[in-house]
Amino acid sequence: MRRAASAVIAVVGALLLISLFLNLVPGDPIDVMLGEEASEVDREALRRAVGMDQPWYAQLWTFSKDFATGELRTSLPPFQKKVLPAIGAALPKTLQLTVASLLIAVGIAIPLGVAAAARKGTAVDSAAMGVAVAGVALPRFWLGPMLIIVFALWLDWLPVSGAESWRHLVLPSLTLGTALAAFLSRMTRAAMLETLREDFVTVARAKGLHPRVVLWKHAFRNALLPILTVLGLEFGTLLGGAIVTEKVFAWPGMGTLLLTAIEKRDYNTVRATVLMFTLCYVIVNTLTDVAYALVDPRVRRRS
Amino acid sequence: MSLLRRALWGLLLVVAAGCRSEPPPDGITVLVEAPPDSLDGRFALTAIGQRMVQLIAPGLLTFDDTSRPVPELAESFRALSPTLVEFTLRPGLTFHDGTALTSEDVKATYDGVRSKALQSPKVDRYAPVEEVEVVDDRTVRFHLRGAYAPLLAELSLSIIPAERAGLDGVALQASHPVGAGAFRFESQPDEEHLTLVPFEGYHLGPPAIPRLYFRVVRDETTRVLELLKGRADLVTNAVSPAVLPLLRKQPGLRVLVRPGTGYAYLGFNLRPGPLADVRVRQAVCHLLEVKPLAEHKFHGLAEPATSMIPATHWAYTPGEGCRYNPAEAARLLDEAGYGDPDGPGGLPRLRLSLKVSTDRFRKSVALVLQEQLARGGIAVEVRSLEFGTLFNDIRRGNFEMVTLKWASVIEPDLMRNVYHSSNVPTEENHWGGLNRGALMDPELDALLEEASQVELSERKAAYARVGARLEELLPYAPLWHESSVAVVSRRLEGFEPSAHNFISSLARARKVGP
Repeated sequence: MRRAASAVIAVVGALLLISLFLNLVPGDPIDVMLGEEASEVDREALRRAVGMDQPWYAQLWTFSKDFATGELRTSLPPFQKKVLPAIGAALPKTLQLTVASLLIAVGIAIPLGVAAAARKGTAVDSAAMGVAVAGVALPRFWLGPMLIIVFALWLDWLPVSGAESWRHLVLPSLTLGTALAAFLSRMTRAAMLETLREDFVTVARAKGLHPRVVLWKHAFRNALLPILTVLGLEFGTLLGGAIVTEKVFAWPGMGTLLLTAIEKRDYNTVRATVLMFTLCYVIVNTLTDVAYALVDPRVRRRS
Repeated sequence: MSLLRRALWGLLLVVAAGCRSEPPPDGITVLVEAPPDSLDGRFALTAIGQRMVQLIAPGLLTFDDTSRPVPELAESFRALSPTLVEFTLRPGLTFHDGTALTSEDVKATYDGVRSKALQSPKVDRYAPVEEVEVVDDRTVRFHLRGAYAPLLAELSLSIIPAERAGLDGVALQASHPVGAGAFRFESQPDEEHLTLVPFEGYHLGPPAIPRLYFRVVRDETTRVLELLKGRADLVTNAVSPAVLPLLRKQPGLRVLVRPGTGYAYLGFNLRPGPLADVRVRQAVCHLLEVKPLAEHKFHGLAEPATSMIPATHWAYTPGEGCRYNPAEAARLLDEAGYGDPDGPGGLPRLRLSLKVSTDRFRKSVALVLQEQLARGGIAVEVRSLEFGTLFNDIRRGNFEMVTLKWASVIEPDLMRNVYHSSNVPTEENHWGGLNRGALMDPELDALLEEASQVELSERKAAYARVGARLEELLPYAPLWHESSVAVVSRRLEGFEPSAHNFISSLARARKVGP
């Protein structure tokens, strides 16, 4: 119940902020629609027609009503298309990209982090953490083109950009997932090191269990909780990063939709896209909470 | 081997099998930097939108590289009097849906765009038209309210079927456009992709390109990489000059260049302040060294400008431009009361501000201008502003100097909008009007009005007089005309770049090789 209330507050807060900011942005959408040479009479007529003569809170109310009923249309006449179908097409693409990056990040980070923790102080540890520092430091707008140059131009294995097949997904999700993988592997290492010092691990070792069983079944399962927290929080960063990555790889997701809407000063689509980003973030955070309970019986009992 | 390890190997094998080079698609791929704003010519305002519309639904006229109107769907046109122009359509024109294109469609298109109900942003352009009259199936006449020579520049509007010309046809024309152009609309699955196919009934014969794909790739680096990979066949004016030397070296690519009609300038604010004095403006002009800037920043892909009109334009008359002469600049500044307080170097004679957009390239150009003016004792503060803010400031006269460009100068009557005293943006006209520097000169006003009304044959001389007066007044310091640049793959043959960045020559181009 409390979770649901805070989720609603987060969504409403985001909506209020974006409406306020859109109100403050310089540049008149009417100029964009009519061109700079239009007469003032036409400007006023259009402003009324699209409801831009209303104060921002009235516009926000109309927006929320239309969004909830699925009647929301792009602000630009005369082809006021419904916004939700565009989001319906773009959202799965972005989710595809973020989930793939998440999988890549987890797939790289967990073995790397666990290996570094298990062999603390060795060359494996230094190498793994060296890679992790590099991963955090590389900006996406640089890493993206570099991956393209190596895998698409030199090796000719993968396409440069676009979204026609699963092969187009590889490079953008690698680009997007690398920074998270780097961050996550450091987190995993730290959490594992802490768990490996716990008494139950010593007991498990004393019982003569296979080191691999101790590492994965006893230590790793208990180290999962902080890793999950970071994953939940970092999902938002991934969504944000998707905007840059989608631009580099011409990936037709929510980031592309948002950029086009901003270029056209299409306020309704901008608001709706940001709202969807917020919703995704809130949902993932709620799911993270649920996952805690699944992973750790202590959390289940407390709640 | 554990199950997990076996599964991983399996996955790797599948990935490796998928990792092979893809064959290029069966047609020609054109990369653009943003989606078209509309595929309906009555609403398309962006260069990309207009270029695509031209392929699908051309108009009565188009423009050659000298910006002269040439017949497109029209076979010929003639002025019967200063207020009456007659067009004869080509015989046997048909739309993509198979119906005949007649004078009725031309009339319906223009009546539609002129009606307030349609809310076309182009409605004001046709205010000088009183009536469009159908004489017969192939003859149509434009009756004007008064003599108005620039009208021809507006008659390139795409002609669409009469039943789509009204308000109820707008949605259909935007989603499934129909015209009489070389290419027919096939699909637009989303804003980022558009596919066109050759129109069998095109009046010059069907194009040889089997299919035309437009793809939006916003990132410049990605566009370049797609060209290098061989997955793109055409990119026009969307690659910076600095990358072109690399692309020229690629065996699979060609870089085609044509002098362009865009015009970059340094605009002055003539409202009270140091720049209200023409001597100060002339001094700034004499301190600019445009040629080296054009050579180094544009790698030679820009021509120093002497006025808004480029040398290839029908209305061009040679002018002075800004001749570099620091001694003359110093004399003018002394005369205007801006003497050098402490000799060369040291304190500046004068401080000015220069506003520029946030575009990295434009900013770097502004910094060079700053350096050049500093050498002559004018300290310039460069302020880079987000476009919305910049545009707002310029409209409200809140600037001293600004660098901007006109994307394409086809009709010289643009000068009337930009320099006529009735077009100064004020609170009364809600900051409309393009005379943002507030130039007020009755003599120039009269010359501009004359040039918009005289007969076609006398216009060039009329604009020469306008140009001479502008050189005296110097409301802008002319900088350069950027060239029109097309990067073309070896698969695409016969494509000719256009001074106006049109891509209509795709109708005559062909695809060779795989």
